[in-house]
Amino acid sequence: MSQPSNSALPSLSTQSLGMSYGARQVINGLDIALPSGKVTAIVGPNGCGKSTLLAGLARLHKPDSGLVLLDGGDIQRLPTRQLATQLALLPQEAVAPEGLTVTELIRFGRQPHQGWLRQWSAEDQRVVQHALAAAGLEPLADRPIDALSGGQRQRAWIAMTIAQQTPLLLLDEPTSALDLGHQIEVFELVKHLAHHGRTVVMVLHDLASACRYADHLIAMREGQIVAQGPPAQVVTPDLVRTLYQVECTLLIDPDTGSPLLANVRRCSEPAY
Amino acid sequence: MKPTPVRSSALDAASTRPARISISPPQGYWRLAWRSRHGDQSVLLERRAVTVNASLLGAFLLASVLYLSLGSVNVAPMGVLHALFGKADMMANFVVQELRLPRLAAAACTGAAFALAGILMQTLARNRLATPGIIGIDNGATAFAVASIVGIGVSIAPPAMALAGATTAAVLTFGLAAGSGTQGYRFIVAGIGVGAVFGAVTQLLLARVAIDTANAAYPWTVGSLNARPSGALQLLMFGLVLGLITALMLARSLTLLRFKDATASGLGVNVKRRRLEVLLLSVALTGLAVAVAGPVGMVGLIGPEIARSLSSSRGVPITAATLAGALVMVLADLAGRTLLAPIEIPVGIVTAVVGGPWLLWILMRPQRSFT
Repeated sequence: MSQPSNSALPSLSTQSLGMSYGARQVINGLDIALPSGKVTAIVGPNGCGKSTLLAGLARLHKPDSGLVLLDGGDIQRLPTRQLATQLALLPQEAVAPEGLTVTELIRFGRQPHQGWLRQWSAEDQRVVQHALAAAGLEPLADRPIDALSGGQRQRAWIAMTIAQQTPLLLLDEPTSALDLGHQIEVFELVKHLAHHGRTVVMVLHDLASACRYADHLIAMREGQIVAQGPPAQVVTPDLVRTLYQVECTLLIDPDTGSPLLANVRRCSEPAY
Repeated sequence: MKPTPVRSSALDAASTRPARISISPPQGYWRLAWRSRHGDQSVLLERRAVTVNASLLGAFLLASVLYLSLGSVNVAPMGVLHALFGKADMMANFVVQELRLPRLAAAACTGAAFALAGILMQTLARNRLATPGIIGIDNGATAFAVASIVGIGVSIAPPAMALAGATTAAVLTFGLAAGSGTQGYRFIVAGIGVGAVFGAVTQLLLARVAIDTANAAYPWTVGSLNARPSGALQLLMFGLVLGLITALMLARSLTLLRFKDATASGLGVNVKRRRLEVLLLSVALTGLAVAVAGPVGMVGLIGPEIARSLSSSRGVPITAATLAGALVMVLADLAGRTLLAPIEIPVGIVTAVVGGPWLLWILMRPQRSFT
């Protein structure tokens, strides 16, 4: 598959970003740049600040210091609606109002492009159709969201963000509640989107799938960046130990060349 | 930040295709389209919403004719129409135009305002119990209005006092819900507490004044259309028109506020600002309506509930709830005036008698998406 040029994609980065939840400082002085047109995975142990970082990137929470920069401009200065044409977000455990069908959900993705007197254009129709097809949801178009399987539901939400037509897509643990088959369903769709010129950033619980599906990895611990770069370069037994306090043996996937974690075990002997 | 270049071509291969396709509106909608100097414009009308609104409007007009025709003096429905244009006999002209029409207007406007305020607050709180009546705003407005009537030395007109009371109650409820915002039970529980305190304040004020003054203020405590302060209705009408227009302008954001904040925000809604605007609108409508009819907050629960049960779940039925509220209030006051005639039952009691069991039924029923 040929990779389209990424020069036209806007860049997203942070400059000594600091954020807190209430009184607790969660992340401090983060400098990251997200590679355009690639899949970036943010990984780390529970409570390391990865979701907070994503919330900062999506402007859901205001940083207490530093900046989030979209194409070099402060993201806080952008009107919410304009931001929504640049950056789409799929929050954790998104819930749709009851009875909403797949197509109806996807139509909401057109919201930032519509107005009171521009409620349904040819472009809207075309993009919604395209999003349905891209997520492989055409046979389920008129099904209520609550009647779908977990993987289908997550694909419907991603289709909504596709319809938003933003160059940037942020996903917060898109596969956390899915079984293996449904996880692959979602990851392959994400990969496909990046191949078609979107910059994807996702927070992931699971280091193994991050290794397999991300082009770029940001590993965090206690609000700090421990490592960033392509998984094949940055994932080492040392990194895994630093992040999760577990020992492992690293293998190379013979088919994809991505790192595989084997023989994962705790560092210290359990007390029991 | 530099202007954003068109990037769609980089996004999907499909967008390079010519856009000349015939447009079919989403299933269940009519699409009105025209061309103006701002380019192609289009509006979507949901078919079901059109039917529901038309039916509710028809029912409301029918109820209005009944309202004008029935009472201590009955005027035949055709006579009502004649009397409205001053073409009936003097007696009928007087009864319809002077006695019943202003009261009909008050019933319709207060019902509409309570229901509109109700559906706004429910959408905001994502909870179908969170109407201004239940979270204490009605009681706050009433306490302040009663205070101005029984004379505590403050001589501000009841409507202004009711608005001040509604605002005070809303601020208190928010303060007590501390940080948890309008979502969740804390907000509701805080509101119920605030409402109880203001209810007690009203009783206390009445207990301390002479029996005649207390009697004069009595309708305020139950909700009645019998004692309408002059000027309050005009103010309410003005506020209602303005409020309905604003709510319709916000309708698209309101639809998105039914999602989680993060989703709504991701789709371009400035959630914090919208929430504040909608809250202010709801509180103002409640205050203005209480100034006319006292606390008939039950309509704020019944109106939206009727509208939702008739409408699809695609959007927030703003106009349908408003119409249903007006309809309920007109029917309730008609029942109150005629059932036990010549004794008049205050409209607040009628709606409470009907609304109480309704509320219980909602609470007992297996839950839908709200609450």
